[in-house]
Formats: sequence, structure tokens, C-alpha cells
Amino acid sequence: MRFIAFAFKNLFRRPVRTGLTVLAIALAVAVAVSLIGFNIGYRRSIDVSIDKLGFQVMIMAKGCPYEAATMMLKGGTGLLYLPDSTYEEVRKDPDISAITPIFVGVAEKEASGISDESGSSFAIISGIETASFRDMKPWLTISQSAGHQGGRWFSDDSTGEVVLGFEVAEYEQRKVGDSYFVTITPNGQVEPVMTELKVVGILERTGTQDDGTVFMPIKEARRLFNRPTELTIVGFKLKNFSGLALRQFEQRWAKLPEVQVVGLQQVKTTLVSLVETAQTMIASVAVVAIIVAVIGVINSILMSVFERTGEIGIMKAIGATRSDIFQIIWLETMAICLSGGLAGVLLALSGTSLVEKAIQSLIDFGTKGTMVAITPQVMLAALVGSAVIGCFAGLYPAWRAASMRPVEAIREGE
Amino acid sequence: MNTENNNGLLIKARGLKKHYRRGIETIKALDGVDLEIRAGEMVSILGPSGSGKTTLINLLSCLDAPDGGELEVGGRQVAGLSEEELVGIRQGVLGYVFQKFHLLPTLTVAENVELPLMFLQRPVDREKTLAVLRLVDLENRAGHLPRELSGGQMQRVAIARALIADTKVLIADEPTGNLDKANGEAVFALFRQLVAEKNLAIVVTTHNLALGALADRIITLEDGRILEEKINPRV
Repeated sequence: MRFIAFAFKNLFRRPVRTGLTVLAIALAVAVAVSLIGFNIGYRRSIDVSIDKLGFQVMIMAKGCPYEAATMMLKGGTGLLYLPDSTYEEVRKDPDISAITPIFVGVAEKEASGISDESGSSFAIISGIETASFRDMKPWLTISQSAGHQGGRWFSDDSTGEVVLGFEVAEYEQRKVGDSYFVTITPNGQVEPVMTELKVVGILERTGTQDDGTVFMPIKEARRLFNRPTELTIVGFKLKNFSGLALRQFEQRWAKLPEVQVVGLQQVKTTLVSLVETAQTMIASVAVVAIIVAVIGVINSILMSVFERTGEIGIMKAIGATRSDIFQIIWLETMAICLSGGLAGVLLALSGTSLVEKAIQSLIDFGTKGTMVAITPQVMLAALVGSAVIGCFAGLYPAWRAASMRPVEAIREGE
Repeated sequence: MNTENNNGLLIKARGLKKHYRRGIETIKALDGVDLEIRAGEMVSILGPSGSGKTTLINLLSCLDAPDGGELEVGGRQVAGLSEEELVGIRQGVLGYVFQKFHLLPTLTVAENVELPLMFLQRPVDREKTLAVLRLVDLENRAGHLPRELSGGQMQRVAIARALIADTKVLIADEPTGNLDKANGEAVFALFRQLVAEKNLAIVVTTHNLALGALADRIITLEDGRILEEKINPRV
């Protein structure tokens, strides 16, 4: 350890080369840290989003499981519908402790007055049965902050009234009492119909997909979309939820034609599997980047050793043992790798928002909330990983330097 | 460790041999050299290129091991010792000055001088460092970097580095090879001063006959053997 300061000073002999080597390690570590952070953040985000759906199981029309999963979170496209009779039949199941029917439709927004190419021009309309939906999601509260005063839920029989999710209200700059225009093409019609809706309440932020949803009574939603006897999802809570209870429930209702029973754990797994391929590819890039960076470190340190052959000979002549020389070169490598690791972590932290934007633009199965979570454990692991890389990368150059015979080293350096 | 015997003998070589293989040919770089170096004397080794000067100095400084004969440095037999054991003999007994100064560019003059102490695991005493630098007339340059020094000054720093660990024998291989005439003479004058003031033994190789003649003893090598050994009557 007596050589630490000495090793650091040696690195400043070729500041550009040292800097570039550190940068290579930093970039590789930043990619790896961002990837791991994305992995953690995305899973957490999915967990939160799914848990905040409120129900444990849902029934929906048979179709693509990915569509089922994303429809839960983003509204999806190409919606499939269930007959109302399914809901009436299933609600008699004795194992159900709570049930809520949901009708989801996609409308076109009108006259938002905001020109933003990145913003969606569609609104996700969620028709709900107020009491059962609120029982399922007790955390949903009507905001009473500035501009939101006097907000309330609509009654199931009201018409033309909506409650906006927090982000919808924020993005569209709507207050309680404002109008909200949507254009809907009713089922079986070609001509779209523009409808004026009145904002009667705005929800507090939940950090879930509900922030981007427009809620209205289910009866009114069905009327506007001209699907008076159809549903999109039926959400349930089971009295004694377990894997076995879920399987038994699935078996009971799989008999219904055109219906699939989806457990939310299954949705989580599906969503995670959607990005796993992309993650594997990014991980491969990160591994290659790390290997290239390690080769760069070995090359840089070896060059430095060869350049200093004469000096190493002199150091041996003035009393340095093989172990001393080994430690000096090894510490230089460690210093480069640890500096690179630290810089990589800082780079990843500062680039989190950029990475999130890039991921959200690339992956259509995004969730609300932070998608890249760089935890202290990840940062620590990155630094430990950098140290381990340094340990191994430094072995060969340090051994080469330590093995030099002083006479030959001095002669080569003359 | 007692590094001298009663007569101040620091290095004793008997029948020293060093042979190299070049293909099927054996080169006798040193072929039976007898030599004694005592405290308080300066010995210059002269001879043409290939005469064995550097080989002899490498053996005397324990940087290389002889193939035959006996070599005793600081009272210890060198023959058959491993590289790490040779380091043990070198530490604190022998100091080196080479043609190229090999100062570390990122360390100050004082830090370069103190470098051997780091390897010997001895505490750094800045007062002592300055005293050694005063000896080579560079005390006022202690905080400078090597690139701010002239060639002659750098060689004096290298000499100070060789002295810091209470060295008994200073071994210098062509120390003036990279210096102009004036700086070369200054280095040899410094050697004479060190011999006189510090009772140091100095072994120096040089191509410069005039400088070599400033030593107490002048040994001329040819084909790996001592051709002539003279005591300098003027010193």
C-alpha cells in the first residue's frame, strides 16, 4: 500500500492515454450500470403498475397475450370485447370477493390547443362502475388542489361527465368545470362524432397508467362507442388468493368461449419477457464493451511498462523487489479501472433521464414512473466489478514488469 | 550488517568469470578478474568497447551473477544467490549511477532522491534529503521537476538518489556519457569530494581517459581480463 501515491503519479505521465483508457472503462461501466438499472427499474415499475391495477385476476377476450398485458397498462389498440353476459355469469362465482367491469375505448383528442409532435393524439377512455372500481382502488382520490377544487366522482347514471387522470389534466391544461372534447367513431359507423365532455374531477397523481386515463361512467362509455352490451375487462379479487385458487378459477371459466383468464403475475411475466430479448442484446453489447475496455487497459499498461523498461531496471537496482514492481504496476491498473468505474457510475447517473427517454421511445411496453433505477447496490457492484476487472487486467503487465532482469532492463533503457 | 572488514574492504573478487553463449560460440566477457574495492577510494575502469567494463560493473553491483570465481560484497558471498537475495545485498550497500539518468518525470527532485527509501521501507526524512541534495549542490532545486533541470543537474540528482540510503559503494557506469566536458568534470569532482568527505568507495567506468585518470586506482580491461592496474600518484 506504500506505493499507492507513487502509482497514481505514474499515471499522469501520459495523461491523454490514461484519460482515454479511463474513458473506455467508464463508457463500458456506464452501459452496464444503465442496463442493470433499467432491469431493476423496469421490473419495479411493472410491479407498481400492476399492483396498482387493484385486482388480482382479470377476464378478457381471447387474443394476443402481449396485447392483453399492454392493454392493461396503456390501453392498447385493436381492442377485443366480451359480452355483458360473461360478467353476469362470472360474478356469481363464490370465490370472488370483489369484481369490477371495465370498458376501454380509444378516442381522438380534440382542440387541446397544444402542438406537440411527441404527444399522443389519442385518449384512453375507461368506462367504470364507480363504486366497485373505487373499492378495487381505494388509493384513487379526487384532487382538491388549485384548479381542482370542487372535484368529485360522477354518478353511474350521469352523462357527459369525466374524471381526468392527473397527467391528462396537466397535459391538456384542464381544470374542474372545463370542457374536454373527444372524437369517437361509434361501433358500426364510419363517421366520427365529436363529443363535448365536462371535467367534474381530477385525480391525484398515482404514478400508474391511471394518470393518463379519462374515466367516465361505463354506461356512458358504452353508449358513446355504441357497444351497449360489451365489456373490455372484468377485474377480480379472490377471497383466498393463491396460485392454486387462481388455477382452479381459470379452469372453471376457461369453459366460456372467447374468454381468457389472466393472473396479474402472468401479466408481469409477460411484460418482463417482452424486454428480455432487448436486454440480452444490450447486455451482450455491454459485455463486449467491457472486454474491449479491459483489452485496452492491458494494452495501455503494457505499453507503459515497455516504455519504462529502463526505469524499472533502475528501480530494481536501487532496491525494488519483484513484489514491489508487481504492486506498482498492478496498482496503476487498479487505479485506472476504479477511476473508470467511478466515472462510469457518474456517467450513468447523469445520463439516466436520457436513457429513459431512449428506452421509452424504443419500447412500446413502457410503464409509468422511473424506468432506470440505479440503486446504491448497483453502484457498489459497479465499483467492485471495476476493481475485479483491474485485478485481472493488471496481472499480466505486472508480471511482465516484475520478471524483467535489472541488467537487461537497464540496457534496454539506455 | 557489517559491510566492511578490518581493512575497509567492501568488495572482493577472485577469478571472476562471466560467459555468454552466442549461437555455438562462447563469449568470455570476463575471464578471471581479481579485484578489491575499499572504503575511501575511487577506482576507474577503462578499456575499449567489448573489453568487459559493463559486465564487471554489473557483477560488482550484484545486478548479475557470475558464472565462476568468488565475489564478496559487503561481507556476503554473491555466487549462487537468487535475484531476490541479490536485492537484499544491494539494498543499502550499493548505489548506482548510469549513463541515462532515469529520473521519474512526475516526481520532484526530492521525491526522486527519496525513491530508494520507499523500496527499503525506511522513513523519509526531508532534512536528510536536503542534506544529500546540498552535497550535490542542488538543495535549492528540491521542489523542481526533472524537466526543469539541465543534464548535469539531472546526473547530480541521480548521484544524490544513489547516496540517500547510506550507501557504502557508489557504482557508476559511464556517468558522463550524456554530459558535456564541463559537466563531466563537475561529476568527477563531486566523486572526489564524496570519497574524501564521506569515505565512500566509488567504482566508475568511462571512455574518457582524462576523467578516468582522476581516480585513485585505474584499471584497464581488455578481452575480459585486467590488462593493467595503476595507482594514481597525483591523487
